[in-house]
Amino acid sequence: MAGNAQTSPQLDYSDDAVRGFALAAVVWGVVGMLVGVVIAAQLAFPDLTYGIPWLSYGRLRPLHTNAVIFAFGGCALMATSFHVVQRTCQTRLFMPKLAMFVFAGWQLVIVAAAVTLPLGITQGKEYAELEWPIDILIAIVWVAYAIVFFGTIGIRKVRHIYVANWFFGAFIIAVALLHIVNSAAMPVSFWKSYSAYAGVQDAMVQWWYGHNAVGFFLTAGFLGMMYYYIPKQAERPVYSYRLSIVHFWALIFTYMWAGPHHLHYTALPDWAQSVGMIFSLVLLAPSWGGMINGMMTLSGAWHKLRDDPILKFLIVSLSFYGMSTFEGPMMSIKTVNALSHYTDWTIGHVHSGALGWVGFVSMGSLYYLIPRMFGRKEMHSVPAINLHFWIATFGIVLYIAAMWIAGVMQGLMWRALNADGTLVYTFVESVKATWPFYVVRLVGGLLYLSGMLVMAWNVVMTIRSGRAVPSPIPRLVMA
Amino acid sequence: MHATLAGAISGAGHALSNDLQVLDDAIECARFTRWVPLAEGRRAAESSLRIGGMHCNGCAVIVEQALRRVDGVLDAHVSAVAECATVQWDAARTRPSAFVAAIERAGYAAVPDTAAGARALRRQESRDALWRLFVAVFCAMQVMMLATPSYLSTSTELAPDLKQLLDWGSWLLTLPVMLFAAAPFFTGAWRSLRGGHIGMDVPAALGMLVAFVASSGAAFDPGGVFGREVYFDSLAMFVSFLLGGRYLEMRARHSAALSLEDAIGRLPETALRENADGSLASVSVLRLQRGDVVRIPVGQAFCADGLLTQGRTRADESLLSGESAPVDKVAGDAVVAGSLNLGAPVTMRVERVGADTRFEAIVAMMRDARGRRPATLQGADRWAAPFLWAVLLLAGGAAAVWSVIDPSRAVWVAVSVLIVTCPCALSLAAPSALLASAVAMARNGVMLRRLEAIEGLARMRTLFLDKTGTLTEPQGRGVQMVRIDRGPRWTDAALRGTAASLAAWSTHPLAKALAKENASSGAAWCELAETPGQGMQGRAVDGTVWRLGRSPAQHAAAIDSDEVEAWLSCDGQPVACFRFNEVLRADAVAAVRALERDGVRIALLSGDTPARVERIGRLLGIADRCGGMAPQDKLVAVRAAQARGEIVAMLGDGINDAPVLAQADTSLAMGEGAQIARAQADGVLVSNALQDVVRARSLAKKTLRVVRQNFIWAAGYNAACVPLALVGWLPPWAAGLGMATSSLVVVLNSLRLAR
Amino acid sequence: MDILYLLIPLSAVLVLGILGVFAWALNGGQFDDLEQHGEQILDAAVDSFDKHQDA
Repeated sequence: MAGNAQTSPQLDYSDDAVRGFALAAVVWGVVGMLVGVVIAAQLAFPDLTYGIPWLSYGRLRPLHTNAVIFAFGGCALMATSFHVVQRTCQTRLFMPKLAMFVFAGWQLVIVAAAVTLPLGITQGKEYAELEWPIDILIAIVWVAYAIVFFGTIGIRKVRHIYVANWFFGAFIIAVALLHIVNSAAMPVSFWKSYSAYAGVQDAMVQWWYGHNAVGFFLTAGFLGMMYYYIPKQAERPVYSYRLSIVHFWALIFTYMWAGPHHLHYTALPDWAQSVGMIFSLVLLAPSWGGMINGMMTLSGAWHKLRDDPILKFLIVSLSFYGMSTFEGPMMSIKTVNALSHYTDWTIGHVHSGALGWVGFVSMGSLYYLIPRMFGRKEMHSVPAINLHFWIATFGIVLYIAAMWIAGVMQGLMWRALNADGTLVYTFVESVKATWPFYVVRLVGGLLYLSGMLVMAWNVVMTIRSGRAVPSPIPRLVMA
Repeated sequence: MHATLAGAISGAGHALSNDLQVLDDAIECARFTRWVPLAEGRRAAESSLRIGGMHCNGCAVIVEQALRRVDGVLDAHVSAVAECATVQWDAARTRPSAFVAAIERAGYAAVPDTAAGARALRRQESRDALWRLFVAVFCAMQVMMLATPSYLSTSTELAPDLKQLLDWGSWLLTLPVMLFAAAPFFTGAWRSLRGGHIGMDVPAALGMLVAFVASSGAAFDPGGVFGREVYFDSLAMFVSFLLGGRYLEMRARHSAALSLEDAIGRLPETALRENADGSLASVSVLRLQRGDVVRIPVGQAFCADGLLTQGRTRADESLLSGESAPVDKVAGDAVVAGSLNLGAPVTMRVERVGADTRFEAIVAMMRDARGRRPATLQGADRWAAPFLWAVLLLAGGAAAVWSVIDPSRAVWVAVSVLIVTCPCALSLAAPSALLASAVAMARNGVMLRRLEAIEGLARMRTLFLDKTGTLTEPQGRGVQMVRIDRGPRWTDAALRGTAASLAAWSTHPLAKALAKENASSGAAWCELAETPGQGMQGRAVDGTVWRLGRSPAQHAAAIDSDEVEAWLSCDGQPVACFRFNEVLRADAVAAVRALERDGVRIALLSGDTPARVERIGRLLGIADRCGGMAPQDKLVAVRAAQARGEIVAMLGDGINDAPVLAQADTSLAMGEGAQIARAQADGVLVSNALQDVVRARSLAKKTLRVVRQNFIWAAGYNAACVPLALVGWLPPWAAGLGMATSSLVVVLNSLRLAR
Repeated sequence: MDILYLLIPLSAVLVLGILGVFAWALNGGQFDDLEQHGEQILDAAVDSFDKHQDA
């Protein structure tokens, strides 16, 4: 069966979109992290960009967040979801041309963001800065994405729907719902609109969106990735398949109401803040269930971690996931939040999750996926993967350590009161004290970016010596 | 994976290939096929098959693909774990033989699966329970979120219209709980009320209904008679907890059924097939084909449906027809699979084959076991009714009293009283323990037919033991022949051969040993008869009548020996004597000691000569020993002990033990023993290890302890909580939590036994 | 907190939708025989891509 050159196109998986998204993910990863390094540098050296408007911090920051979340993360999710759904359903993508439309459309969204945000065109809502025409484009592309994904599940040849697909499916539906509700706006000109909600109501909707964006985009989607690529790379089944199903449903139960923890001690009513706190704490259980399930997949085969850098990426991503899903609930406790809110501790928390969990699981999955998309078993250089891993890990550690220290220090300094009730420190004093940590964070970010550049080099070398062969959908061989 | 099944049916060269046509036979087909409705009024046939030879999921996929390629097969689903396949096919386009052939061509074997019905029922029950549990827990979670703001805020912080919104949302999300999740409680309560008595679902259903109605009133009319407090979250929560407890209990029940089916599946069942050259082969019943000639010894079940070809006998068809009087059978009569051969050894020709014939008998056994309710359970049932009446009266009384003291609390106190009482713990106390215990015993080599056996094992005062085959190994070591008649008429070899061929017709342990040690002469016999306790008799082709068995009385003095003997005589004249070294089972001494230490009186009853019984008794240290007992004598001994008020247990293996096993309060049959013994006993010692009897007894005693613990807990819990609810110290959510926890405690306590 | 007039009905509809999806999955046999499915993605017969790979 192996050498059958006459496999007709109908019998091959449709991987053009997978290839496109995988490579795009690497490219946007470099871009997004580069912008991140620039803004980190700006915080330490504000005059770095000579006051050029399109390079000002206020405009570059949303470019950074959108690029790493939606461009890098989004492309990684789309690549892997299209890859996984085909293999686990043993069928070609539903409407492959529509999948290419999704690819093109999403790249257009990213480019539009890259152009409009530095121009200062923004709705001002965090992770939802893009103006209404782009929002509409996102909605159209997303609907197409949903059609392709769910259509493929609809035409599946395997009765059981593998658990990873449940996570991907929930991610797709949730993001559609969140995007549509939160982006509701009244346009006044082509590049300007006003939110349909106002004041504290808008805040509630925004952080209902914001936290669930984290929960479904950055967690559920990547958990889908984890549940497929860890077993495949480790060549062992998920530790407890039953637990993975329970994990999924438990997560669905609890995620919807954690949003208010972003609004502690604001104009939001006290009881709403408390609800958010309680359910953020409840979220700890299902999250850790998933982490343990993924890690214990290696139970009995821990030695594989020694030699396999892809597994290192994947398993270490889970430990960062565990760390973040512990830190998050802790930070949602009101008394803790009173210290941490508005400080760099929040940034540290975000980046341990983003660089550690999202980044690493994406990198591990792409390292598995890309060679196979180009007719090879492995990346061009496995030692380079190892190098990437260690550089990136070191970078993360520097980053989050710097931010933790800075954050706690800021919180303490801001609340320090003299005996007569006046503030001990002025704001600028706390900024000065933070400065060294901004530099350390910059170094950490540079290291992380360097790792990404190593990956980009490795990918280029892999593609050059490989060829995009179609992969046949297996027909079972009769004895 | 079943070693028996895979080994038996995935045999190269001896597959059922010749016989697939029999599967198309309507009667045969109906045993593993049913109709399922399709769209547009059409219907498809759905067959269930057991597949052999699969060792991984890839195999399951291969079999599925093979099935799907058959024209006329609409759908196929194969499970590697359960080793079974479900095939949906169009009766107009294909037949079972076609797709079974397809499976065989793929390299696997398939037989009809008649356990499918029970499995399908369990699956449906499991799905229903999971659905209800999910709805309850999911909605409870959401309702709790909506209820939290009311708990966290003071009355001024939460605007009244916002609170109303939250309450309406809670009401909406509690509807699925009431309609889907809690439905079993309502239907159960309704059924019992219609039957004219208060079932244990009644207080729970009543409590839920009252809580829901009162909360709905408070939600939609806050200033009205129900006040403004809503308890949707408590309601949803305690429905969830209750369903959780029931789900665990159902899982325990299913795993018990599954492991019992598994244990049964491993009981080896062989048949003696006569080959064309007259030699005998002991084969698994699963390998039998239509047209095979099989010998059926006395005390065994007929292994397939067929026709008697030789001999005459009586068959016990009670297991199948319920008719207990044996039926006469002569050559040419039809015999039914599963019926017992009582009269004489015979041969039959197999007409209909199927792995289900023995299984159906076992299923009947199990249905029997499940249908009977041991005394402990009947006791609990008796006072459930008055208890429930008391609960209803207390709740009503509490409502009445509180409506005077503080009317706003009257409803909630009544609800709490109804919910907190847990009659379910009382009715779960014994069954959950007995069931878990049966599972554990099956794992430890004792398969129970009747749950009463557990009580008997725990409480037995006297244990009667058989000797040959029970205390001793059925296959003796070494058989020596001593010639009595030294005449030239027969050679030694000829005599051995004659004895062996006669012995081959009997299932007595000594006969088996003889047949094993000596090559059969292959002689043909007619007019065979076996007398339990005496021996075997048959007429050879030359007209001589041979007997093999107990020594004739008048020659007992001539050769006195301590060993077990079988005498061969021709036309009434003793010709040879076969001596067996009798060997005690390795664990016999230890087992007897352990039981005696545990307070059980051991008595040895044997049909063997008193001298030999003396010897064995001395070896084992059994004071109470009696030899030379005919089955009647054993019966008398057992009845005498029972008349003295002792609880009597019996462990035996032979055909002649069957009536005694039936008479004893609790009986166990050796797994290697005659089928009729196994059919009459309360349980089968499938491991044949005597130590397992000791273990079973200690497990049985532990079970009774657990049952007692469960009852004490259930009673104590009710005694403590009902007063608390009456004085208003137990809010409904705590009541629900308490009730569910109480059931869970009982189930979990019982599950300890299954470990 | 008028926004709750949007968010709460929305979540109620979501809950009913999720119940519907669960019912569909349960009846479709998605939760039967769970343990084997973890292994299914690893079967060489299922994913021949790796098996027939050459560098």
